[in-house]
Amino acid sequence: MTENRIDRSMSDRSFFRKSHWLTRFWDGWSIFKGNLLGRIGMTLLILFALMAVGSFIPPLIDPMYHPMTGVDPEILNSTGPSISHWLGTDFMGRDILSQLLAGARVAFMVGVSAAFMSIFLGTAIGLIAGYAGKIVDTLLMRLADMIMVMPTLLVVLILAALFGQLNIWTIVLIIALFRWPGVSRVIRAQTLSLKQRPFIEAAKVAGASHVRIIFRHIMPNVLPLAFLYMTFRVTSAIIIEAALAFLGFGDPGTVSWGMMLQWVWKTGHMFKAPYWLLPPGICISLITLSFYMLGRAMDEVLDPRLRKEGEVD
Amino acid sequence: MDTHKKKSIIELARVSKFYRSKSSFFKEQKEAIIALDQISLKIFEGEIFGLVGESGSGKTTAGRLIVKLEEPNEGKIYLGENEIAGLKGTPLKDFRLKVQMTFQDPYQSLNPQLSIYDAVAEPLIIHRLGNAETQKATVSEAMTAVKLSPPDDFFHRFPHQLSGGQRQRVAIARAMVLKPKFLVADEPTSMLDASISAQIFNILLEIRKKYNTALLFISHSLAAARYLCDRIAVIYRGNLVELGPAEEIIQNPRHPYTQALIDALPQFARCEETVRYDTLLRPERQGSTVGCCPFFNCCKIADPLKCSREKPPMEKIGEMHEVACFFSETKKSENA
Amino acid sequence: MPLLEVENLSIGYQTRKGFLKAVEGASFTLEKGKSLGFVGESGCGKTTIGMALMGLLPSNAMIVEGRILFEGEDLVKMSDDQMRRIRGKKIAMIFQAAMNALNPVLRVDDQIAEAILTHDPDCTKKDAKKQVVSLYELVGIPRERMGDYPHQYSGGMKQRAIIAMALSCRPALIIADEPTTALDVIVQDQILKETKNLQKKFNISIIFISHDISIVADVCHDIGVMYAGQLVECGKREEVFDSPIHPYTHALLASYPTLTCERGALKSIKGETPNLIHPPDACRFCDRCSRSDTTCSIETPVWTEKSRTHRVLCCMPERTG
Repeated sequence: MTENRIDRSMSDRSFFRKSHWLTRFWDGWSIFKGNLLGRIGMTLLILFALMAVGSFIPPLIDPMYHPMTGVDPEILNSTGPSISHWLGTDFMGRDILSQLLAGARVAFMVGVSAAFMSIFLGTAIGLIAGYAGKIVDTLLMRLADMIMVMPTLLVVLILAALFGQLNIWTIVLIIALFRWPGVSRVIRAQTLSLKQRPFIEAAKVAGASHVRIIFRHIMPNVLPLAFLYMTFRVTSAIIIEAALAFLGFGDPGTVSWGMMLQWVWKTGHMFKAPYWLLPPGICISLITLSFYMLGRAMDEVLDPRLRKEGEVD
Repeated sequence: MDTHKKKSIIELARVSKFYRSKSSFFKEQKEAIIALDQISLKIFEGEIFGLVGESGSGKTTAGRLIVKLEEPNEGKIYLGENEIAGLKGTPLKDFRLKVQMTFQDPYQSLNPQLSIYDAVAEPLIIHRLGNAETQKATVSEAMTAVKLSPPDDFFHRFPHQLSGGQRQRVAIARAMVLKPKFLVADEPTSMLDASISAQIFNILLEIRKKYNTALLFISHSLAAARYLCDRIAVIYRGNLVELGPAEEIIQNPRHPYTQALIDALPQFARCEETVRYDTLLRPERQGSTVGCCPFFNCCKIADPLKCSREKPPMEKIGEMHEVACFFSETKKSENA
Repeated sequence: MPLLEVENLSIGYQTRKGFLKAVEGASFTLEKGKSLGFVGESGCGKTTIGMALMGLLPSNAMIVEGRILFEGEDLVKMSDDQMRRIRGKKIAMIFQAAMNALNPVLRVDDQIAEAILTHDPDCTKKDAKKQVVSLYELVGIPRERMGDYPHQYSGGMKQRAIIAMALSCRPALIIADEPTTALDVIVQDQILKETKNLQKKFNISIIFISHDISIVADVCHDIGVMYAGQLVECGKREEVFDSPIHPYTHALLASYPTLTCERGALKSIKGETPNLIHPPDACRFCDRCSRSDTTCSIETPVWTEKSRTHRVLCCMPERTG
């Protein structure tokens, strides 16, 4: 066995770092697979991902299938499922299925971007607050507290009322700005506990600067937690966007599930067109559920106590 | 060992460290926990110096003060001729090149995300010593010195793949890669199995021989300190109570606490039956020991009048043997 | 009839990487009132044996074969209910870092009284409290400290409280797993002496588990040396320490710093413990053994008896004698 290893030169070092991640990933994956929630969540998410990817297909088949502008020349109002429109059409004669697929795309976009941004912000602030301590910590955490107690949806509605219809990316930004406190608290707690660990002290004794300690030693140990939290953030981002769209404050140029619900409501088809009302609502619920299940399964993957099972004294 | 010719590399001059509990609205007086109380000692170049005491005795604090993880409240610490308080910038980096430390817990002293190579090479990268080639050579040399051979085998591994003993050796390699003049080894084997300790001890002995690095060996075991060290200092509740050559301390302990430590050694470690000093008072006396001998409450030979009023200073009773006890001479005559 | 008789016990853990054979073929006996010490490195299986005796093996553990005869009854075959009745009452255990086994929100005397009442439902609360008082006297905790909470106790006192709890139901057997690891040298010495006295006084059998050979040497009548899941040498304390046979026992003894050994003379054991998921069929110690040769890596070692009480598991016992 030793002979194989001696052959490897330092140029392979980066490969082995990746392969360490691979082994860790594989270990994590096997735990994940064993978890029922994880499997269900993953399956649903794959389904939605396929929907999102598939959203590009209908307009290519026939321009009348375009979610926003596609108009069926023969149909001018809402009709039920038929051969040419598998889920029926909305009040303008646009295909509901293609709208649903486009909505999946928007949900992922909004969810993942908002989550990513809030994680980025929250991790940076949590790291700084936890590591610097004292005044910096106090200031940042009080800021986080203030933002955390503000009702996100209400504030966004007020902003929308003030500035009119908001662009989808503005909505994403605002969600991120309101969601980082939760992440930062967790990251800060983790940073505080890591700060005391001997390997951080060893780095100090070796002469490492604060910047080096934060980026080389603390951040890599904190990132897995940040990614876990991302899954939770996605659910809230999707729901906020849907709520905003439903209430009429969404981006009118984007078709999202919330927007679809708004159209159902505003055009008075709530009780008349179940084929139109139900799909977006079910999709919102299911995608939220699947991200949540994913998060729960990842919890087990990342929890070191659960990972230690099987090690014996 | 002729101390007159040897230069001192680390000196503690009347160093104290205390922790104040945060004063609250309700507490008027700030209570202080005294970790170290006016400790003075000198460690010579190339010597292995043992600091032995129980948990809470302040021995780890002394080590942390020397490597500047914490600052003393009173007193001065010298590296060679220079005081180390207030060092910043380049002089601080120079200091770090010369003084290093290993920690007690091998499971927590390595970053779990860094490979072994990265962990050991880190000090070299921080101080920008050499290029990738020379760094690899230095790291290999350090790993071989701690008997992790062949080094290439270990470069790509991660801490969780190594045993406790191996991890501790990696920590020693990391500390030695800068070839420091002084190494603080804080209880290097207390979290390892007794059978693995021997290897760590032998490695430390070899390091001293090869690099002429002075070592501060912090431990709770007198037997281990005797095996490894040239001189031993015994510390009790933040106070130095006895200091002298290792063999002398073991054969001829003068302070009642040192004697109690020797009594407490397992029979197995003592080989032949040695004399029992029996200096521990059970049950202990109660009361504060501020301003009097710290060992007063547990001491059988203490004089309630003298020992509870004054704190005994460290006095020379031999060529290099010092004791902080009013009755060290009396005990000698009893045992003679 | 000996109090405890273990025959050919083999225990394994089902892990994600495979089936880990933690203990293989361990056989030993323990008489009433005697103490047996298991010594070996971490991972040698000594804690697993202790847990098996208590019936506290985790869910992924399996007793593959063997019998544990306690007072004539096979513990392996017992149901959970039966084990629960024995646990605490007849066999008590002091875990590693037992000081953390005290509930921080209850007073210590209440916790010990609760242990008494659980196993003796007929006992009244008053009687239980009286028993706690006498237990405290036994283990040497001042009576005034009875009503304190665990955080008010020092490490040594907490350990004494745990010993009191273990003694509370007058068990026939106490299993002490590294009971003094976290304690200072002086406290450790006191507790070990007191344990010895208590053992003599109540004629309790004790199984001591430790990686530190000096503790086991001081306290136990018999010693069992374990390596990589196997019992490799077993005998009276004097026999094992004065005339060790197995190379691992030799190595253990040679690696412990005594007050008279020479500087640089401590021998460390080279190499690492074998992988217990795929252990070698032949001698498990041979690649670290200073006296092994080719036969050791091919043949399975067998038990050789040097005397009625002293036996060793080695391929070449004559050579190492």
